[in-house]
Amino acid sequence: MPTCLYNQDFMKVSTIKRILIANRGEIAVRIMRTAHVMGIECVAIRTDSEPAAMYLDHADLIFNLSEETSEIPVFLDVDRLIEIAVTTGCDALHPGYGFLAENAYFAQKCIENKINFIGPSPDAIYKMGNKTVARRIALANGVPMAMGSPGNISDEEEALKHAAKIGYPVIIKAASGGGGRGMRIVRHPDEMEKMFNLASREAEKAFNDPSVFIEKYIENPKHIEFQILGDKDGNVIHLGERECSIQRKHQKLLEEAPSSALDQELRTKMGDIAVTIAKAVGYYSAGTVEFLLDSDKNFYFMEMNTRIQVEHPVTEEITGVDLIEQQIRVARGEALSMKQEDVRLTGWAIECRINAEDVQAGFAPAPGKIEKLSFPEYDFIRVETGVRNGSSIAANFDSMIAKLIVTGKTRSEAIINTKKALDKVWIKGTKTTLPFFRMLVRNKKFHSGDFTTAFIEKDLEQFHRNSEYEELIAAWLATKLFADENLQNKNGSVDFEQGKEMNPWLLNKRINRF
Amino acid sequence: MDINSKNFRSYLERDEALKQQYNSDRANKQHSKGKLTAYERISLLYDEGTFEEIDAFVTPADQGIEFGKVEKSFGDGVIVGHGKIDGRLVFVYAQDFTIMGGSLGTVHARKIGKIQEMALKMGAPIIALIDSGGARIQEGIASLSGYATIFSNIIQSSGIIPQISVIMGPAAGGAVYSPALTDWVFMTSHTSYMFVTGPNVVKEVLNEDVSSEELGGAEIHARKSGVAHMIYEDEENTIIALRKFLTYLPSNNVENPPVTVYDNSTPDINEKLREIVPDDPNKAYDVREVINLVIDRNSFFETSDLYAQNIITGFARLKGKTIGIVANQPKVLAGVLDIDSSIKGARFIRFCDAFNIPLLTFEDVPGFLPGMDQEHSGIIRNGAKLLFAYSEATVPRITVILRKAYGGAYIVMNSKGLGGDFNFAWPSAEIAVMGPDGAVAILYRRELAESPDPVALKKELVKTYREKVANPFIADEKGYIDEVIDPAVTRKKLISAFEALNNKWVKVPSRKHANMPL
Amino acid sequence: MTPTFKPEIKELHALNQDNDLFTFELPLVNKIKIGNHEYTIELREDDVYGVHVMWKKRRYPVDIVRVKQNRYEILFNDISYTFTIETPFSLERKKVLSKNTGKNDKLIIRAPMPGKIVEVPVREGSEVKNGEPVIVLEAMKMQNEILSSVNGTVLKIAVKAGQNVMKDDVLAEVTVKE
Repeated sequence: MPTCLYNQDFMKVSTIKRILIANRGEIAVRIMRTAHVMGIECVAIRTDSEPAAMYLDHADLIFNLSEETSEIPVFLDVDRLIEIAVTTGCDALHPGYGFLAENAYFAQKCIENKINFIGPSPDAIYKMGNKTVARRIALANGVPMAMGSPGNISDEEEALKHAAKIGYPVIIKAASGGGGRGMRIVRHPDEMEKMFNLASREAEKAFNDPSVFIEKYIENPKHIEFQILGDKDGNVIHLGERECSIQRKHQKLLEEAPSSALDQELRTKMGDIAVTIAKAVGYYSAGTVEFLLDSDKNFYFMEMNTRIQVEHPVTEEITGVDLIEQQIRVARGEALSMKQEDVRLTGWAIECRINAEDVQAGFAPAPGKIEKLSFPEYDFIRVETGVRNGSSIAANFDSMIAKLIVTGKTRSEAIINTKKALDKVWIKGTKTTLPFFRMLVRNKKFHSGDFTTAFIEKDLEQFHRNSEYEELIAAWLATKLFADENLQNKNGSVDFEQGKEMNPWLLNKRINRF
Repeated sequence: MDINSKNFRSYLERDEALKQQYNSDRANKQHSKGKLTAYERISLLYDEGTFEEIDAFVTPADQGIEFGKVEKSFGDGVIVGHGKIDGRLVFVYAQDFTIMGGSLGTVHARKIGKIQEMALKMGAPIIALIDSGGARIQEGIASLSGYATIFSNIIQSSGIIPQISVIMGPAAGGAVYSPALTDWVFMTSHTSYMFVTGPNVVKEVLNEDVSSEELGGAEIHARKSGVAHMIYEDEENTIIALRKFLTYLPSNNVENPPVTVYDNSTPDINEKLREIVPDDPNKAYDVREVINLVIDRNSFFETSDLYAQNIITGFARLKGKTIGIVANQPKVLAGVLDIDSSIKGARFIRFCDAFNIPLLTFEDVPGFLPGMDQEHSGIIRNGAKLLFAYSEATVPRITVILRKAYGGAYIVMNSKGLGGDFNFAWPSAEIAVMGPDGAVAILYRRELAESPDPVALKKELVKTYREKVANPFIADEKGYIDEVIDPAVTRKKLISAFEALNNKWVKVPSRKHANMPL
Repeated sequence: MTPTFKPEIKELHALNQDNDLFTFELPLVNKIKIGNHEYTIELREDDVYGVHVMWKKRRYPVDIVRVKQNRYEILFNDISYTFTIETPFSLERKKVLSKNTGKNDKLIIRAPMPGKIVEVPVREGSEVKNGEPVIVLEAMKMQNEILSSVNGTVLKIAVKAGQNVMKDDVLAEVTVKE
């Protein structure tokens, strides 16, 4: 896609009066909360899958999707969203995360329709969205990266050639997307053909683009990402890093800010590189630059996410910056109010993503209805959620129940506070990942900070253990239910005599029938 | 009489001898196979201290046995008697596998016949606990004749008193017909089996190697043949379930079913009912969710749950009163009707009709299962069974159409024309000759072929069809549906509807019996 | 005089999925013994917390996930446990039966009707439980989940997404693991 030309004047709009929230759940609630503080109205969209969703209560205006059965869900429907924005008189749109947040075409269409897209430019989205383009830019800007193929690989032959140069193990990655899909690790040239085909097919299915490239595979790295903030004048700063190595199958479970693996020197080095990449694509608004950190403290640029991320609250907690507010200000054309030297990281923050998943069944989604939901009211807790008592966790959206964000002066204090908080979270109605987090915060390796992205996969077994007497109580309960139901003499409950009561009319007819 | 007198002492001695016969050796023989003895089963089944045995001391007759030997034991391998289950009179015969393999000899058969006659005279249910090797070879044709009498008695009582068989061991050859003739068959997994011809003969004649379990185990009969209606992991659970099952049934065909203490915990109005049927007509849901919200809490006893799962049958309670439920299950095979589900439904309906149990039908059926397989196997004949059963039933019959109700299947599922007493529909109901896609394709074939954008046109037409033809309000306005109701008030509507039908009585033409398609 | 042979049930056992046994004497009391101490356990329900258990002065959430015959799945303090409740006799019976069986059965899953394979949510080697979907088949314009009727491991997947199948075509094979 060619570089898009955007209206320079339009970029410096000075007001935003009404934002269309093109998302749902907790992020919709989050965005609306800040928008309201800033005196901006919000429009939310009601879908048929969750007509009573909590986020709708926070909107000033709700757009009801009528009985239309469309092929595309509304949050993925570019034209429909723009139509709704225009119809409801919105001058801006916030895409949240996921859905169309990193769709350059969507961002472009918004701008063409005079709707201020609260995010980066379509050009930046495109460039960082295509992994091979991103790598090229990084390379041109002296950004350290895992050695890889200069462009996309067309077949196994090419793959083998590059792999030989890079050195095994290598990883095949999809050019147009991430999240673990279209990714295959190859440790030996014999596996290349099979893995190449698998990766490419998966990439096509997931992102409609079978293009893949190859990179050196870094064993057991840490996943460290930097929060970027830029304005339309070209100023870019970073707000420190987040430690996101607690993952399972490329899905983040727990994030921290900052990371215990970084000292100030490394932070400055990595942060500067992150800013460099952002500046290289003229980035403005909030974004995240992802790195892998190996055991020798070498870091490699992986990719940049051109959106606000799920785990943004932990950065907010240690910097005191409201990222959504900054996004809106930048969209309005305001310059950043702080410089890099003004950014201070104070204290520690941990976020647990509590999902409706069955940990014992391999984190399988456990859709259901939240019967009771309550969080403790400590001052070191912040909860971001889009559900409440009675909400359904539908199978067609994500399984997130809430993000539990806990702070402390130090990492150990944050961990202790997280433990306190988790023990008091009360969720009834569906299986959740709470027991997993309760074990995680008691885990020695987690305490040491010395874990990599391989941590959870390898050591998952131990997260199933629980205190012994809990199983005993559950056994007692089951036994009690059985005994009450089956062993008691329930003579009083069935009345056979009443069945014999019949009025003469009916009795007469029944008897004389024979 | 002096308790020391000779007569009384003989009485006590004989009692001792009986106790000796049923010593722990015998018990261990059964236990070592994971089975309970006949007496143990009876004690679990009946209320404490209520069981009265008859003919305990009957011994096999001294007939001219030409072949083999017959053990002279008390009781001849079967225990018969009566007692109270939850305070109600119930008759039983329980075969004892430890005596001559529980095989049926003349005396054994006579005892059973006696108790069957008694049950019929008293108008009380009779339960058969079957654990038998079959006909007693030594007694030859006399054994077979014994079976014939038993079968004949079952048929005499059929539809007059509830008859339940519980298979807790082998039941082979001719023996297998008595459960087949009774109303309900309970079976214990792993330790019981039923087949007409055993593995040995199968091996001989067909040279096929097959185990008893594969040929006629509980799983097979619950899932494939439909002969076993309820199966359980072990004997205690089987009997516990049987006791529960009995609380739904009347003692005979003149009585109304028993009423339980009703705990008021199910709300009459429940908004959750509105959320169960998805808006997308191609999405499935579990109709059990609807059932569970409408009936008294925890009162659903599903029957034949592993067989023909595209239709659900079972007993439930509304305000303590028993009703029979028939429901299409959209989660399985899209809820279509096919041969197996038609038969399952028909048999259930006829039992309810015989025993004054009102019927509640939840309908969401897109039609009959198409295909050569069904047609060649006689879906015509078998679908007709369901239709016949519904129309013939004179108990109160209520239908609630939840979603789809297309074509012949709509008629079959207790429609107004077949004599449904109250027919309700939810707003999500779609009642039509056929589904929108099929209808549009036929009626607008030419227009679609000539259209520049057939996909969009079809979408338009389908939408119009849904609005103008298939919606339930049309049927309502024409009187084919009595009322379109808010799903939330379904329970309330049903309770008042059934109350209104309390004294329903329909005169049936006098004839020997109807000729149901079989 | 009828001999009474009611197997006196003096205790009940809760058997979990790892074959651990938890034994409780009958009649059941609201107390659980741990070591030398006895603690009271109480089942309560209120509007704020729903159904919960009071134990050692703390509140624990509890839910009954599923009950089938004597099999109970309980969600206690957010962890799920599955027990079958056994009488002393049924425990004996289980032992007897497990000695006798032990053959490795194979469940062959066939298409119950003609249709198109929409999705295969498992892979060869995946573990499946009784009642879990193995294949998603579209027929009559509706998606049907074809479920495994046993606990076991997927041995073979004979079809792939997009493929059309006829009735009784073999879809998958599962080795039974009981």
